[in-house]
Parts: sequence; C-alpha cells; structure tokens
Amino acid sequence: MTTTLERETRPIQPKRVNEIRVMVGGQGGDGTLTVISLLARCLKLIGLHTYDARNVLSRIRGGHADGVLRGSVNRVLCSGDALDALVAFDEEAVEVGSPLLEADGVVIFDSSRGPLKKQLPPRVQVYQSKLSDLAGTQLKKTLLKNTISFAILSRALGLKQELVERVVKERYQRKGGEVLEGNMAALQIGFRLADEIGVAAHYSMPEGAENDSLQVVGDEAIGIGFIVGGGRFYAGYPITPASEVLDYLSVNLPKFGGAAVQAEDEISAINMAIGAAVAGVRSMTATSGPGQDLMTEGLGQAAEAEIPVVIVDVQRSGPSTGMPTKHEQSDLNHVVFAGHGDFPRLVIAPADVTDCFYLTVDALNLAEKYQMPVFILIDQALAQNSQSVPPFDLSKVRVERGKLLSQTELDSLPVYKRYEFSSDGVSRRTIPGMSGGFSQITGNEHNEWGMVSVNTENREKMMRKRMLKAELAKTEMPRGRFYGSPDAKIGFVSFGSNVGPILEAMDILATKNVPTKFLLVRSLHPLHEDELVQFLDSVDTAFVVECNLSGQLAGLIRREVGFANKIFGINRFDGHSFRPSEIAQRVLEELGPKTGGNSRNA
Amino acid sequence: MPETFPVATPIWCPGCGDFGVLAALKKALAELRIPPKDTIIVGGIGCSGHIHNDIQVYGYHSLHGRLLTTATAVKLANPRLTVIAAGGDGDGYAIGGNHFLHALRRNPSIVYLVMNNGTYGLTKGQPSPTAQIGFEGTKEIPFEPVLMALSLRSSTFVARGFSGNQTQLVRLIKEAIEHESQGKGFAFLDVLSPCVTYNDTYAEWRKAVVDLNADPDFDNTNRSKSFQHILETIVSGRIPTGLLYRGEGASFERNVLLPGSEPMALQDISPEKNLESYKKLLRKFA
Ligand SMILES: Cc1ncc(C[n+]2csc(CCOP(=O)(O)OP(=O)(O)O)c2C)c(N)n1
Ligand code: SF4
Ligand SMILES: [Mg+2]
Repeated sequence: MTTTLERETRPIQPKRVNEIRVMVGGQGGDGTLTVISLLARCLKLIGLHTYDARNVLSRIRGGHADGVLRGSVNRVLCSGDALDALVAFDEEAVEVGSPLLEADGVVIFDSSRGPLKKQLPPRVQVYQSKLSDLAGTQLKKTLLKNTISFAILSRALGLKQELVERVVKERYQRKGGEVLEGNMAALQIGFRLADEIGVAAHYSMPEGAENDSLQVVGDEAIGIGFIVGGGRFYAGYPITPASEVLDYLSVNLPKFGGAAVQAEDEISAINMAIGAAVAGVRSMTATSGPGQDLMTEGLGQAAEAEIPVVIVDVQRSGPSTGMPTKHEQSDLNHVVFAGHGDFPRLVIAPADVTDCFYLTVDALNLAEKYQMPVFILIDQALAQNSQSVPPFDLSKVRVERGKLLSQTELDSLPVYKRYEFSSDGVSRRTIPGMSGGFSQITGNEHNEWGMVSVNTENREKMMRKRMLKAELAKTEMPRGRFYGSPDAKIGFVSFGSNVGPILEAMDILATKNVPTKFLLVRSLHPLHEDELVQFLDSVDTAFVVECNLSGQLAGLIRREVGFANKIFGINRFDGHSFRPSEIAQRVLEELGPKTGGNSRNA
Repeated sequence: MPETFPVATPIWCPGCGDFGVLAALKKALAELRIPPKDTIIVGGIGCSGHIHNDIQVYGYHSLHGRLLTTATAVKLANPRLTVIAAGGDGDGYAIGGNHFLHALRRNPSIVYLVMNNGTYGLTKGQPSPTAQIGFEGTKEIPFEPVLMALSLRSSTFVARGFSGNQTQLVRLIKEAIEHESQGKGFAFLDVLSPCVTYNDTYAEWRKAVVDLNADPDFDNTNRSKSFQHILETIVSGRIPTGLLYRGEGASFERNVLLPGSEPMALQDISPEKNLESYKKLLRKFA
C-alpha cells in the first residue's frame, strides 16, 4: 500500500453535538457530491434533518466544486456559518473550506498529489492519505476515492459502520454488479485505512429513529406540486438552475398521461404552455433569467388573451449569461414589471421547499380561477439545495378550476361569449371540443366575442376587466410570514431563500441583546401593502435583505408603500447566498454602538 | 345550443389571394364533414392571420410567428381535435422560421397552411423571405419552403397550392386534413396567395405554376427524386405545385403520449383520482 500518513497523536473525546456541518470539495465532475448525498441519507436514518448546498461551476469537469451538508436535530434552512469537517480532494478545496472550519475541526485530505501545504490552526485535526492513488491501484477506479473518503469521514463523525454500509449498499443496489462491488470494497478499504491512521470519532450525534422527512430540492418540489395540482403539460428549454424541473417532469409526467416537452427555445416553451392551456390543460414552463427575457412577449399574450399559465423563474446571476450556476435574486423587477402595455399578472415567492410544493398548487388554481399568467419566483439556492421537509400533505391539495364550464353548464346558456363582462372580471371559459362553446381567443384587443376591436369604449372596459382580476386575486395570494418579537424596533424584510440565514441572524442578534423581527414577503405582485405598512410602522429600522445590487425589493416597497427613511439595504451579489453571521454583523455595524443609532439610507 | 361569435367578414383587400384560401378551406372542412366543434384554427399575425375569424370553429390568434408551437401543444393536449395552423410567409418563414424547422422535425399531426405572398401585407409591403429578387430592391435569393420541408428526413407531407386554382387547392387541403386526422403527422401546405395591393403576382404566378402531380414521371413518394425534380423546376423558372411528398413516420403525439391514455385536456385531475400514485411520487424522497 502506498499510503502515507502524518498523524498527530492526541487523545480525542467525541464532542456531543446537535448539529454537524461538513464540506466536501474537489474538482467538478469527480463525484464529490455523492459523498454529500450518502451522508445526507445516513443522517436522515438516524433521525436528523438536513440541508445541503452545492457550489458548482457551469462546466461538467474541472473547476472547484463543493457541497456542504448540514445535519441537525432541528430543521435548518441554510448552510450556516461554520464547518466541523472538511473532505478535500485538492489544495484548492482546503483554501475554500478551511476559513470556515471550527478551531477543533477535522480535515480529511487526499494527498495523492502531495502532502497538504496549507498551514492550518493547531487544533484542527488533519487526516491525510493518498486516496485517489489507493482507489486507482486497488480498485482500478480513482473515482472510488469518494467512497473511501466517506468511510473515513463516517468514522470521524462517529457514525456506525453498519449504517454506512447499508446506505452505500442501498444506493448502488440498483446498479448492481461491478458498481456495487466496487463501492462496497472501497468502503472496506476506507475503514481499514481509518483504523491504520487512527481516525478518532470526533463527534457524537444524537441517534434516533429515521424521521419521516422528505429530502427535496425546490425545483423538484415545484415539479411534484405541479403534478399533484393537476398540471399535465410542461414545456421548457434547458437552463441552469431550472433544468431540474424539466428533468423531474420528463420522467414523471408521462406516468400521469401528461407530457413534458423540451422546446426549441423559451419562446416556443411559453407558447406551447399557452397552447395546451387553450386546449384546457393545466400547463407550466420554467426558466431562468435569459429564458425569462425571451418569454416576455408570451407573458403579455397570456394576460391579454386571458390564458392560465404558470411560469417559474429560477433566478441566477445576471444580466445576460452572467454567472450561470450562481445564486442571485435580481429578476424581481423583471417578473413584476416586464412586458409592454398594462396587464395583470401574479407573482408568488416561495421561501422554502415546503412553500415550493404548496404554492405551486396555489399558482395553478390562481392561474385558472383568474385566467392569467402566474409567476413562481425562486432563486438558485432554493431551487437546487435540498431541505428536509415534513411530508407534503396531499389532503390539503385542492384543484379549483374557476369558471371553466362543463358541457351541461354550457348547454344551459343562451349565449356564450369568451370575454363576457362580469362583476369579477372573470369570464366563463370553454375548451375546443365542447359543442356550443366556440370562442375566439386573441392577444389583440377584442370585444366580448373575442373579435378584434379598437372601439374606444370597449377598450377601456376590457382593460379594466383584466386589471380587476388581479385585484381580486390578491385576496387569495399567499400572505407573508412574521417571525421574532412583536415589540422589536429592528426589522428585517426579505423574500425567497434568505429566510434561512435571516432567522439564524436573528438568533445571533438576540444573544447580543438586539431583539429583531422579520416579515417574509411571499407575494410580490400584487403586494400585500397592509402587512408591509403594519410592519414598517412598527419598527424604527427595516433591513431589506436581498441578493442583488440595486435593492429591487427595497425599491418595490418604497414605490408601493413608502417608508424610504426607515429602509436600509443589506445586499449581496457575489454569486452566493447570505451567511447568518454576515447579516448580523451588517446590522450591528449599521446600528452603531447603540441600538437604533446611526441611520443611513441604502 | 348557445349563440356564439358572429363569423366575421374578411378584412382583406378586394382580390386578395387569401379569399381563395378561405373558400377552399371551408369547402374542404365541409366536404370531409369535420365537426366544427372539434376543429381549432390557430392563426398567425398578418393579413392572413385573420382567417380564423371567418369560420365558425374554435379560433386562437397566436403571437407573430408562434402559431406552430401553440398548435403543436394544442394537439398534444387533445389529439382528438383537428388542428389547423394558418398564417403568412413572414410569420412562418421569418420570425417563426425556427419553429417551422422544429415542427418538421417533430412531425405533430397538424395542418400548416401558409398564405405565401412574398411580402408582409399587414405592415404594408416589405419583402418577406420568399420575396422574388428585385421586389422592393431585394437581392437575396428567396427562401424555398418546400425544399426545406423535404430536406428534413422527418417530414411526411409537403405540398404547394395556388389560390388561383381552387380545384387543386381544395384537393390539397383535404389531403392535408386527412393526413392530420389520421395522426400521420405534419401536413405542410404552402399556398401561393398573392397580395394584390403590395405584390401582385397573380399573372406571373398563373403563368409559372406547374402541377407536378400531372407529370407521370414525378414520384412524390421518393424524397430525393422529388427534391431534385422540384429544384430543377424552380431553376427553370417554373413554380412546382401539387402534393410534392408524402412519407411515413411516427407523429409527435404518438412519440410523446402514453399509448391509449385519455387526452390531457379531458382528464379528471382532481387529487382524489390519483391519490395512490401521488403518494408514490412522495415516497421517492423519503
Ligand atoms: C414581434 C412582432 N414583430 C413585428 C410585428 C409586426 N407585424 C405584424 S404582421 C407582420 C408581417 C406579416 O407578414 P406575413 O406573415 O407574411 O402576413 P401577411 O400580412 O403577408 O399575410 C409584422 C412584421 C408583430 N406583430 N410582432
Ligand atoms: S394587403 Fe395584401 S395580403 Fe393584405 S389583405 Fe390586402 S391584398 Fe391581402
Ligand atoms: Mg405575407
């Protein structure tokens, strides 16, 4: 064996923890992320909740890639601030991960390309060995270094060997043969190596029974919500970080007699979604910024022609091709304002994976009841990071089709007009194939029959009819969520995946005697002004936290409800989501030595 | 039965070729006894794209150039419908060119009628991709849609008619609708439909058209021979018309949809209906 080992002998007592944070880093495409998913499975089986985040580049091979897994007895919604253990397949991964490492953290390093150069703090325990070389010489497959490292990691985390073996076995059972054998052999090599180099159990986690949580990423939760909410037609063009919606639905929609079509571009995708909706199917498309730009004309068409479609915008760093795999929340202005002309739309902003499921069902219902385009706006972190969530409650799912007529209802009408004026602005809808339901559906201004019209009086009535629908839909749009102490004078306002880091920042601030509260906005258009006004009235300072440079949410709030002098922006736009400590730090800096001090507009 | 929209009077200029297309389409639908309630016409944007207002069937007026993607999805949503996309040459060959390519590639069972007048009628006479050299100063070689359609191995029905030849046009539209209704795939029919106001090509086209189906040497089941024949006809200054190619291939809806499944548009989507299979979806993540 060509293993070299530099061991620092120091007796180690396993530290009892309620939470464990691990990073696995290396080069993209070398399988580092499998270690994360194997560990996530182990932690779930002992009853912990998990959150995992992936940091990859927009290429399949090469470039630094890492995954962070956080396991906890509580549900967590972000990766947190620090790391307990780091598995590094190269020096770069140590550069990236070590600054986050706890003082007594553990590093498992693949020294195949030479011993670790980086000087680490004295109490950090480093286990290094030529993992890739070992996998290459003993198993003829260097990729199996991942499984070897997993065995070593599991020792350091104090996980039981049977559990680890079970998880790896389950994972590769389906592939069977060489793959299964290779991985099981790699595990044994890893365990032996761990013995040889004396890997201690550094942590001890509470072990309970497997929990019933689902481990799901936001994109998949939207896919599940879509099917369960009665969606049957999906069209999309591949784009990070929305492709998982297409992938999920391509596999699963056909099982329900539906279809997921990979369109030739996003213009086609939205027009396909529109076509299926015209024919009577609940339909959806998903994309990210560049595709959202291309869909803009279709958005106006759906609004003018009163066609129910759901559009998912998974935000990534823009503009243009930007940083395609990186996190940002800078499409808010686009989804709220994009398109020529005045027209109604709804914009829903799920904040966690649970929301992604239930609010997709809501979006489908709202689209059909109010016959208009509905956006689901999420961000890369929410879309692609997996969260442990309580099983989705199918008994809560309702399918409400609004004024879609049945043949019997249609038969009883003396006259059928697709765009008939009504008290709520919503007209009865038929679908092709129904007898007596002929309609003209058009994006041209039209009269009640759907015939093209430039009559001035009709134009005004039609414009008002369409806009009225958005006002009424607002009463059914998801309300915000409130957190924290009601009397706090320092507030946070935010949306999307920032909920995780903000809640933890609030805990940090509480330990420093800075009580805070938080309004999580979940409807971006129309905004629930009442909840914003009430919240902003009750604080001295409101920190609007968002991942963009210009403060799009802050701008929207100022525009819709005012309070400019209370609003401070906390913004990040480097491609990563917030860390709790950084939000807490920014608040403390802004407040100055005394709480409620120093005020500066963002 | 409820009263529904009053069929519009066409808005076209007197003498516009589109009148002939409308007349032939109505005749074909009537002769084939296609139930109007099961028919949807997806119009493009342009003078031609008004055609769906003038027939008592379901109508959808798409965005400029997007009629094919819309119509493709309508078909997937409910294959029982007769889906006819009808628009202009600017709509289909310029702004919608990419979708034309992909409709040919996918082969959805829809009819695609292009009212080809070599110009943008509605925006007042700019040259379209099929404009003849010299029209409004155009120096570009005109786009040849039937050759493009033939050049995709997946195309199954390629035809060209002339608004000035009703007998042939009715026959071609009927064949196209039958191809569609039998689920055989994409029935593409380019119709020479002169714009008398901006590009009056009636006299020219009347002289140049040649019905290839009348030529005993023309084999419209052989893709490469048909291609060559058409190309030679064009190069010699004539315009080939007729059913130019008919082949076989799986339709898009057959490739995409679960065999024997209820059309999506007609499915019962209440959650109770599928509860057990929905639970299975969740189990995957447990
Ligand atoms: C995105 C977009 N660009 C431009 C237009 C303006 N426009 C309307 S019709 C048309 C061209 C119509 O030409 P064609 O499709 O050949 O139809 P025709 O009027 O000749 O029947 C154009 C450019 C539009 N409606 N939408
Ligand atoms: S402008 Fe040309 S295409 Fe348009 S209606 Fe008049 S003749 Fe027909
Ligand atoms: Mg034209």
